[in-house]
Amino acid sequence: MVKPVLVIGGGIAGIQASLDLAEQNIPVYLVDKSPSIGGKMAQLDKTFPTLDCASCILTPKMSAVLRNKNIKLIMYSEVQEVKGRAGEFKVKILKKPTYVDWDKCTGCGSCVEKCPYKAPDEFNLGLTTRKAIYILFPQAVPRKAVIDAEHCVRLNPPPNLRERAKGRPLCGVCSMVCPAKAIDYDMKPEVIELEVAAIIVATGMELYDARNIPEYGYGKYDNVYTHLEFERLVSATGPTRGEIIRRSDKKHPKRIAWIQCVGSRDVRFNHYCSAFCCMAATKQAILAKEHMPEVDCTIYYMDIRAFGKGFNEFVERAKEEFGIKYIRGRVVRIDEDPDTKNLILTYEDTSTSYLKKDEYDMVVLAVAIRPNRVVPPLPLDLNEDGFIKLKDPYLDPVSTTVEGIFVAGVAAGAKDIPDSVTEASAAAARAALIAKGHLEEVVSLADGGGLDG
Amino acid sequence: MMISVKGEDGKPILGFNQEFIDELIELGGEDLLICYQCGSCTAICPLSEVFNISFRKTIKYAQLGLEEKLLKDTTPWLCYACGECSDTCPRNAKPTNILAAIRRYLTIKYDWTGLSRALYFSKKAEVAGISILAALTGLIIYLFHGPMVLERVELETFAPIHIVEPAGIITLLVLAGFLLSNIYRMYKFIMSDAYPGVKIPLSMYIKEFIKIIPTHFLTQRLMNKCRERKSYWYTHLLIFYGYALAFILFAVVLRYTQTNLPFLFVDPVSIFGILSFIFLLIGSSLAIYGRIRKTQPIWSFSHSTDWMFITLLLLVSLTGLLTGIFRTINWPLPTYIIYSIHLMLVVPFLALEVPFAKWSHLAYRPFAIYFHRLRELTYELAPVKEARRELIAQPITGGGG
Repeated sequence: MVKPVLVIGGGIAGIQASLDLAEQNIPVYLVDKSPSIGGKMAQLDKTFPTLDCASCILTPKMSAVLRNKNIKLIMYSEVQEVKGRAGEFKVKILKKPTYVDWDKCTGCGSCVEKCPYKAPDEFNLGLTTRKAIYILFPQAVPRKAVIDAEHCVRLNPPPNLRERAKGRPLCGVCSMVCPAKAIDYDMKPEVIELEVAAIIVATGMELYDARNIPEYGYGKYDNVYTHLEFERLVSATGPTRGEIIRRSDKKHPKRIAWIQCVGSRDVRFNHYCSAFCCMAATKQAILAKEHMPEVDCTIYYMDIRAFGKGFNEFVERAKEEFGIKYIRGRVVRIDEDPDTKNLILTYEDTSTSYLKKDEYDMVVLAVAIRPNRVVPPLPLDLNEDGFIKLKDPYLDPVSTTVEGIFVAGVAAGAKDIPDSVTEASAAAARAALIAKGHLEEVVSLADGGGLDG
Repeated sequence: MMISVKGEDGKPILGFNQEFIDELIELGGEDLLICYQCGSCTAICPLSEVFNISFRKTIKYAQLGLEEKLLKDTTPWLCYACGECSDTCPRNAKPTNILAAIRRYLTIKYDWTGLSRALYFSKKAEVAGISILAALTGLIIYLFHGPMVLERVELETFAPIHIVEPAGIITLLVLAGFLLSNIYRMYKFIMSDAYPGVKIPLSMYIKEFIKIIPTHFLTQRLMNKCRERKSYWYTHLLIFYGYALAFILFAVVLRYTQTNLPFLFVDPVSIFGILSFIFLLIGSSLAIYGRIRKTQPIWSFSHSTDWMFITLLLLVSLTGLLTGIFRTINWPLPTYIIYSIHLMLVVPFLALEVPFAKWSHLAYRPFAIYFHRLRELTYELAPVKEARRELIAQPITGGGG
């Protein structure tokens, strides 16, 4: 008998692992805390080193997940508790209320159109706003609406309005306009209990908060962006429809600087290398050049880590074909010109040993990544940086310290898309063995590696 | 072990100089090899704008064990150790401490006698040096002191000025000789990097000397450029002015201060005397407290010679102050005893510190600024103007550690 596998996280790693399992006729539960799968890759514009459109590669896979009968999506949900042992994990999952009955919702978007209340758009990293009822992004899978209870006036009425309403319910526009009658303001959180043979953790990453690094003025200076924000800015589906414009005056920048290792490789913040930023900055500089050929792009780095297949060639191409400048030196301070809102970078150009100050219209910070929090509820060991500890980083690099729980993608350490996908397939192969009952082959139960005993 | 590439003159031009690196680590540059050469130290330093220098490059020289390059380098002396680089360093390599270690290394190298090397690398030599000089001074006092008047304090009778003054002058001349010869060596090292074949006119030597040495010696005003930690500068100034005042009163005009009169209130000069010791006492106490508690980046590492300097300074000022107090309250025997102890501390302090150890930075710092300027002048006077930038900034890049 084939038992199901739980995949936690619907980013590219979780998607790949789910598909690999499902195609072997193994039932998969795919849990994601957000209302759509896709993860960080869905927010990217292009991918390195080929400049393929990220959505064009990702969305077919997302649809394949939706179509696959063996995959059950458990969206807008978070794992609460894991017990048991390899072959028979008992998992409790908290399903947060979406206030929309997804069996009825057709994803038509009428509610979104008519909703009168706005909230910061998390998919676009707050660069724009969305409605209080929203579909995460146009290509969302599943394409279903969710009410943001915090910003919905009906669900969370501000005190002044509540007084005036005298007990009567407020707003209710979405409920009125929904042709499918899917809105349910009384939806309650729900706990789902599952029994699975194996678990794949693909919980991914968040960005380190660049506000903790005061010398770069992120959050204080208008025209300082994180690399993920810039990605949304150049993306055709982004808040500016792909126009690179400054926050301060909505003008096109003439000079853009990328600062590498912001909060990475810095013992004051995170000592590890975030792995993809060198390539991401190179890609973003090329994209900026493609959008605006006259723009001046400079990347400030300490070491260019272009280790992957075709990566070094990509960097060479950026230099030669696109004229992107690479300056070796760490920027120690950004100052803002209060009149123009331009940014002045102070650094030592280590190729000439001169102290320099250069002015830019826009600065993009290659902010470090942090693993998303998984412990608790998962009973895993973490390394000193908060990434999931591997059983054997050389010969068993997708196994965690708990038998039957595997890890793929950034949850185990900083890496790029191809590496995440590779790990996802590896983890799926390992999990499949357990799901198909070949437990003895992979897990030694003699030492009783259970979680509840 | 020493792996190196030899130049035409047989000297190493590039290589991994393990012996040197071990020495530098012992001198306080513990995290030298951690540095990954990002240049944050240069970029954050308030003085790199003034001097057009790169601390990163100096650290790279040290990492590569390029002793020749370091000897020619003025950069370590232009650092006033405010510690902003240590705050900013992404590797926590503590550039402040590395630069301090290089200064200790240079102090050893400028000295030709080898005494400095002994003091910096052997605690036994330090203790022995202090003990021998103290004992010698004690012996001389025992043998040559004048009659001890016990009815009232007669310091001049106890330590006759016609003996103390010439002895002092001879000692100071010898020490100044050593120090000046070290400064001359420093000059030769630094100017070997000057633009070849350019002669600086004597008038310019003098002009720059007058412009640079007095102000930097007396005010250490570059320290005022430090954006953070002004208190470190104030402590420094307190010690400097305490020292300068004491030096003038008890070395230069000794015949007016060392009299048989009770000390305080009789002679206005004596008020300055007390003041100088109070300055020194406060300054050295603050520094000792700072070094124990590691309150400043520069105080986060203390070499044994730092302790020697600051402890001797504290004891010298304490005994000096006590001598003054005992003289004032007319307490003969304790005055003579504490005065003798005072001398037994002053002699080792001056003899070891001035030319061979930490005190010498008082001279090396302003002279480094002067020589840095002189070297710059050779490039300004050079016939080929374009050569200037390239030659001053010889690029050294690449990751470290």
